Amino acid sequence: MGQYVVRRLLQMVPVFIGATLLIFLMVHVMGDPIAGLCGDRQCDPATATRLRQEFGLDMPVWQQYLTYMGNVFTGDFGTAFNGQEVTELMSTAFPVTLRLTIVAILFEIVVGVTLGVLTGLRRGRPVDTGVLLLTLVVISVPTFVTGLLLQLLLGVEWGWIRPSVSPAAPFGELLLPGLVLATVSLAYVTRLTRTSIAENRRSDYVRTAVAKGLPRHRVVTRHLLRNSLIPVVTFLGADIGFLMGGAIVTERIFNIHGVGFQLYQGILRQNTQTVVGFVTVLVLVFLLCNLVVDLLYAVLDPRIRYA
Amino acid sequence: MLLEVRDLQVEFRTRDGVVKAVNGVSYGVDAGETLAVLGESGSGKSVTAQAVMGILDMPPGRITGGEILFQGRDLLKLREDERRRLRGAEMAMIFQDALSSLNPVLTVGDQLGEMFVVHRGMSRKDARAKAVELMDRVRIPAAKERVKQYPHQFSGGMRQRIMIAMALALEPALIIADEPTTALDVTVQAQVMDLLAELRREYRMGLVLITHDLGVVADVADRIAVMYAGRIVESAPVHDIYKAPAHPYTKGLLESIPRLDHKGRELYAIKGLPPNLMNIPRGCAFHPRCPLAQDLCRTDVPPLYEVTGTDTTRHSACHFWRECLHG
Repeated sequence: MGQYVVRRLLQMVPVFIGATLLIFLMVHVMGDPIAGLCGDRQCDPATATRLRQEFGLDMPVWQQYLTYMGNVFTGDFGTAFNGQEVTELMSTAFPVTLRLTIVAILFEIVVGVTLGVLTGLRRGRPVDTGVLLLTLVVISVPTFVTGLLLQLLLGVEWGWIRPSVSPAAPFGELLLPGLVLATVSLAYVTRLTRTSIAENRRSDYVRTAVAKGLPRHRVVTRHLLRNSLIPVVTFLGADIGFLMGGAIVTERIFNIHGVGFQLYQGILRQNTQTVVGFVTVLVLVFLLCNLVVDLLYAVLDPRIRYA
Repeated sequence: MLLEVRDLQVEFRTRDGVVKAVNGVSYGVDAGETLAVLGESGSGKSVTAQAVMGILDMPPGRITGGEILFQGRDLLKLREDERRRLRGAEMAMIFQDALSSLNPVLTVGDQLGEMFVVHRGMSRKDARAKAVELMDRVRIPAAKERVKQYPHQFSGGMRQRIMIAMALALEPALIIADEPTTALDVTVQAQVMDLLAELRREYRMGLVLITHDLGVVADVADRIAVMYAGRIVESAPVHDIYKAPAHPYTKGLLESIPRLDHKGRELYAIKGLPPNLMNIPRGCAFHPRCPLAQDLCRTDVPPLYEVTGTDTTRHSACHFWRECLHG
């Protein structure tokens, strides 16, 4: 087990190098970052040259990459063009996005799993058909539509919430954005749980549990649910990484200054340091989530052992 | 009578039509008695058992008629929570495939102990001690260590012992074993069957043994009930049936057992296939496959005749049981 974890952590090193290189090159081919700095006008050639020298952009790409990596290992992710350290941007953006992700994941677990269990146990009944249709609608409607619509209704028309989130982004204000961010995954969690429950409900060990004279709630929670949650946990784990990086739309709608917002700004301004830094951290988060999921697997299903 | 099933009728409503799985089954088991229910797949033997236990999938299953008297009470008239209290405590069931019938993610100790926690309100620690005790009873070596293991860490025979231990846990009055040895190696089959028979004697429980293995039956059963197309076609004490079957179907079953003294000869098989339960033949359900069939069999459903002329109680649902018995 311990060896397995170490091996998995070591595997992250090449992934880390590969990911950074790839993103570095991708940002590089997007064009000249200096060109966009002076607004609509052409930059003064002298200023442009000076800036290129200052940021090391006159060096060949491989050298730029090596310099960058050298700095990264000393904890220096570079500076954005506005002079702010990228690490500083990260330290403000990641906690905000993390809170948003936590809200979203909680919605997925509580609402998604509950709905999944309810519908899975009543397959083919009106509740089931209703929820199934609803999930279909939610999956088909893009996030920016649900987001803007809810913002308009709850925030502007009825005034139940603040339409945009304050810079501190406390949990209370993140409830609606969290829900919007969660919607699509929530629908998937519901469907996944439903299928899993419906399938396992006919299994032999559930029949045994009933034949043992266990009360219904015990049969469902202790025997049925635990076996049915294994695929759901996999999905949720992968989703954490996805939610942290994929909140660009939601963060834009509600004006949340999180990871998505910073990434968007970085791409817009062709700021290599910001984009590469943020994406690299996201890649690492993704890998860690996957590792945790694999370990959780073994906890949920004792038949799985890692050596 | 400990258990008396009277004229039980069960059907399944499916998209393709109504499957009449059980059509008027009656049988009884006394305390301390073993009844073997014999029949091909689809003859309704497992469905009857599940109806007795109250674990039929409803819907699509539906009990459309009959009574199930257990210790004098009609189970079909009890509320669900009253039936639940009986399950496991007063009547228990052993299933065919122990690996899929045990929960893969719980230790066997948890699954055994659960009986005591739920039905007897014991603490988890006491229940664990009871689980070890039970595993000792069914002769699982190193019970103290193995109680913490999961079902997949046991061999097939050991798993079936755990199923037996689980059924015996609260010393129920009735045990229904649904093909308990079918999934096991032949060498292990005998051990498990002997254990079951021995424990049944010790606790003086009634046992309903569902099987299609005639070899198993001869050793342990007191009475045999043969089922075909959802009906009992013959019931008799075990030795009478082996000596002289009173139904052509039973006769066919007995003749299809491989015998050493018939070595080299072609093995007998009952011709034809079991009937489609959505469309059971008119008259006697067995008539299309029966060597004795007459016109009467195609039109009239045979009642369960009492077989006279023997000193034991026997029944046969054949118009021509006399011919069968003496022919």
